[in-house]
Amino acid sequence: MALRNEAPAQVATVAVFRHRTLADREDLLGRLMLAPAMAYVLLLVGAPLVLALLLSFSAATAGSLSFSWVGLRNFATIVSDPQFHSALSNTVLFTVVSQALVVILATAGAFVLDAAFVGRRLVRFLILLPWAAPVSLAAMAWTWIFDSTFSVINWTLKVAGVLHGWFYWFGDPTLAKIAIIAVHVWRTFPFATVIVLAGRASIPRDISEAAVIDGAGFWRKLFQVEMPLLLPIVTVAVLFGVVFTSTDLGIVYLLTRGGPYNSTHVLASLAFQRGILGADLGQGAAIALFLLPVLIVVAAAMLRLARRTEVGT
Amino acid sequence: MDDSDKWVRVSDNRWRRLSRREFLKLGAAGAAGVGLAASSLGSLLTTIVRAQQRELRIMTWSHFVPAYDAWFDPMAVKWGESKGIKVTVDHVSFADIVPRANAEVAAQQGHDVYFFISPPSAFEQQALDLTDINSEAERRYGPLVPLVRKCVYNANTRKYFGFSDNWVVDPGDYLKSVWTEAGYPNGPSTWDDLLRGGNEIKRRHQEIQIPIGIGFSQDIDSNMATHDILWCFGASEQDAGENVLLNSEETVAAVEYGVRLFREVMNPAILSWNAASNNQALNARQTSYILNSISAYRTAQDNQLPVADDINFVGALGGPKARVGSEHLIGVWVVWKFAKNPENAKAFLLDLVDNYRDAVLASKLYNFPSFFGSVAPKSVPVAQKPDEGRKWVRAACLKDPFGSKPIDKLALLASAEPWSTNPGHPGPANPAIGEIFDTFVIPDMFAKAATGQLTPKQSVEEASKRVKDIFTKWRRLGLVGGGSGDR
Repeated sequence: MALRNEAPAQVATVAVFRHRTLADREDLLGRLMLAPAMAYVLLLVGAPLVLALLLSFSAATAGSLSFSWVGLRNFATIVSDPQFHSALSNTVLFTVVSQALVVILATAGAFVLDAAFVGRRLVRFLILLPWAAPVSLAAMAWTWIFDSTFSVINWTLKVAGVLHGWFYWFGDPTLAKIAIIAVHVWRTFPFATVIVLAGRASIPRDISEAAVIDGAGFWRKLFQVEMPLLLPIVTVAVLFGVVFTSTDLGIVYLLTRGGPYNSTHVLASLAFQRGILGADLGQGAAIALFLLPVLIVVAAAMLRLARRTEVGT
Repeated sequence: MDDSDKWVRVSDNRWRRLSRREFLKLGAAGAAGVGLAASSLGSLLTTIVRAQQRELRIMTWSHFVPAYDAWFDPMAVKWGESKGIKVTVDHVSFADIVPRANAEVAAQQGHDVYFFISPPSAFEQQALDLTDINSEAERRYGPLVPLVRKCVYNANTRKYFGFSDNWVVDPGDYLKSVWTEAGYPNGPSTWDDLLRGGNEIKRRHQEIQIPIGIGFSQDIDSNMATHDILWCFGASEQDAGENVLLNSEETVAAVEYGVRLFREVMNPAILSWNAASNNQALNARQTSYILNSISAYRTAQDNQLPVADDINFVGALGGPKARVGSEHLIGVWVVWKFAKNPENAKAFLLDLVDNYRDAVLASKLYNFPSFFGSVAPKSVPVAQKPDEGRKWVRAACLKDPFGSKPIDKLALLASAEPWSTNPGHPGPANPAIGEIFDTFVIPDMFAKAATGQLTPKQSVEEASKRVKDIFTKWRRLGLVGGGSGDR
């Protein structure tokens, strides 16, 4: 009898045990689901980062697999190098100026695109195009626009009778920097606009209407009502922009290749020139690693902001 | 607890969300299926690959004369078919040659044989010693052109790290009508002529934006042009023994000349030029003189531009100390140490040189043979082959088969060998020279002085420090000699 009673119980236990193997073990399942993403990050981000760190302390060259430890020599060399100083200040300059312009233009753009007018969808589509265009193709077009001899801007202004001298866009360090910033703004502005536009859409209409009823004008409503509400989302757009701009190699490399006389290099392009073209992997890695503190700060800020804005926390 | 409790009905009992269990089952089944398929495909591919006995993977550049690629690719495949070898030819743009080579070295896989357009001395440690095929080619065709030897052989390690099939002449390309008006019907002959003639052209032709088109920018043509100025003023980065001597009075004099050239007959556009800019400026008649290969001229011909007939060529300009000019490109093949088919690669390279008349003609006289004897008639004894080869090249230049007007327009190219030299002149094209070249130390030295950022002396001192750092680093690796005579 006892045996009879135990048999179904054993079956049930086995069944429950079998059913609770993987699908019901949330701790294990969660880790399993996360594993591919973790593997991706570790292999494609972590491993190259560790490799770059190791290379920066070595005399590695591009055409060799030999690895000899040189301590801080690469860092000492670049710290005393005027080209490195110039690249560092350019990285900061391009990032800060372009993102400041992007914030202003994206906010204005979001207001315009939020308004109802004929052809709004087409305008939205056109504004998004720069974001979708491959950077290499876009940079080639900009290379022609800013070409020192055949610049479309120059010839147009000349024909219009406005320009009497000549802008040597990529032949003058100041003009070359302006051109690079312009292309950065052109490229990141659509993304920021869409983010701000989405942010505006999430602001309840009654808040805006209440401000109007209370007598707030356009600027007061903008700066004292809407901007504070938009701030978290604008911050996200800026943080993305900072990461994209400060780490970008393509625009500088395709437009000026760091010229004239290495005056427009950013850290990424100088690292590429020294490490890959110049075959000095150690020094190239050391230059590239100067971006690391910036990226850590930005990543930490992004994570903190994301946590703050989490719904329900 | 019944799993069905977790299910959610979406609409009309027709769709329901998968349970976690079902998802896992399906996922596992899918993964197993994909794994099985991949495994089967892998086995199949392995079988196929094993069945293919011989293979050769070639990486070369996209030639500046597209007709060359149209000849090279089928030639290589046909060569493979005749040997029972499956040949694959891949192309890369000239700017991506070195980055791609770095990637192959890092991955220790890629192609068997890899083509460079500048001396790949930095890759020596990953390149097979090709002494055997260089010796064999010299046995068949006579000696390698001396300037080419300095680009493929390291005397410090006694190793041929590359095999060269061609080099390219870098003449002066000028607009004959414009220079004739300026009083130089045969173009400039010296650097002084260039300055004087340039000033005259500037005075007479306001429509020409840049009377003289010598780049001081971060591109290969600017590198060659600025080195030409250095050498003709008796300066150089190194001597024949690889001792650094850039910081000299001769270098300062060369830079001072560059400053005059920039301020009197050029403008800031030349600080931003890329490899195509001088071609475009010449073909648009926006400059009257450039240092380049014949590619600008061939482009004008191909596009039927009227300027083509006006473009003529001069040799290296004479300076206070010398008349010497850089080669334009050196075509060097490297067989990687990690190549899977090194013997096929070597056989291909020897056979490529064996048919080099076809290559010269396919490139429209852009490629010159590194072994002149390789274009001599087959029946000629080896001792006479180099001279016979030079005669054939001369005949082709005197009677350009590609529509030059006049027909002997390219005659000057045939006499280029004596005044052409290699990067690193008067020393070898070692990896330090390669890094100086690829990081644009010399054009930047000229540009900084030209724009007044630094005085010529300061500019030379700054460049010299950088050159010394680069040499020191490569000497530590044992790939560059000298040092005792550094200045």
